[in-house]
Amino acid sequence: MIKINELSILMNLLSKKVNKYQIGSTKTQILSFLNLDPKKDNHYFQELIVQLSNYIKPLGLYIRYNPIDNHWYIGHDFITSNLLSANPFEDKPKLAATLFCVLVCCLTNTGNSKINEIKNLRNKKGIIKDLKDLEEMGYVEINEKLNEVKLTSLVGYQLDIQKLFTKLTLKLKKDKKDI
Amino acid sequence: MIENKDFSESISQKIKEIYDKVIRGELSLLDYELVPIFNELKDSLSTSNINNYSKTYIEACNLLDTKFEELKALLNSFDEEKQFKEYLESEPSDQEILYLFNNCWIKTFDLSILSYDFIEASKERLIHEKYTPIIIEHLKKEKSNDKFILELPKHKFTEKLLEFFESVKDKLPCSFYEIFDEDLDQIVLYQQFVYILHLLQLGKIQYQAETNTLYILGD
Repeated sequence: MIKINELSILMNLLSKKVNKYQIGSTKTQILSFLNLDPKKDNHYFQELIVQLSNYIKPLGLYIRYNPIDNHWYIGHDFITSNLLSANPFEDKPKLAATLFCVLVCCLTNTGNSKINEIKNLRNKKGIIKDLKDLEEMGYVEINEKLNEVKLTSLVGYQLDIQKLFTKLTLKLKKDKKDI
Repeated sequence: MIENKDFSESISQKIKEIYDKVIRGELSLLDYELVPIFNELKDSLSTSNINNYSKTYIEACNLLDTKFEELKALLNSFDEEKQFKEYLESEPSDQEILYLFNNCWIKTFDLSILSYDFIEASKERLIHEKYTPIIIEHLKKEKSNDKFILELPKHKFTEKLLEFFESVKDKLPCSFYEIFDEDLDQIVLYQQFVYILHLLQLGKIQYQAETNTLYILGD
């Protein structure tokens, strides 16, 4: 059974805002704060995550994992997220499409992506402006010297990347079937 | 817990309907939640319906296997990142891409109100405070042949008090110490001391602190 102090510590570690781009904590940080051995207490760590998850589920909260910076954090479920207008691109489809293009390019190139590649793939005007807007929103970092762009960890917190690509894969599968 | 009725037939029917939809291409198992089916099986299972349920359970497991197969196929297709690029090269509209983002956004939950000091204090308590649980030990029962009979005094307290008063009233007035006979047993001495206290309370005997003398009023 999870102890009340462990619960407080975990809640704090998973819900604290580290900086503009980071929330929560890594597994190593969590283990250290709970005075647990990273070699022996791996199973216990999983158990704690599951138990805390059960505690906060009735509040519409879920424990999530950001694959970009390996941080565990807490997010609202998708219904609550929609109610809270989590979508930052509701009235900006052009920006959403450019971010999607950056996502695909970075996924293919394992991290960074050349701005020219994004321009070619996107094939629309004003891509640099879009990238600058995305940088201002905290989703990408532009390296002007190398003419490169990379995703920040913030995208991993606010966007379920896996779900997005699953949706795309299912859509492509369905489109192929329809043909 | 659901009452232990036999729902195996209705669950089997549900599984068959799902299979039919999957075969017709109307439903992808990846979009279908199988947990309620297993919960329904688990909650209504009893010793009386276990024979019918084992067959339904196998059918549910087959459905789960099919779901795993679909997931495997999906994960394999993830490797084909080319597909995503090809999709972008097909120049989908911005609205179409925006639609893909639907239900993928997460509102993060940050609770900055809890301070770092608080977490440090919690950590310290967790590490250092070792609560020793209270151990309740049962007393050992020992057998004894002795008879424990409460001994009652032969006379009532008032009678004994007055008896004592009668025995000492001729000595009064006298000093506090003189009232007690010499070589008295300590228990008797204590008893007499208690009598004196009561007699003082009742006003039958008076005490003058300056001369340490006991006396009877009117003597």
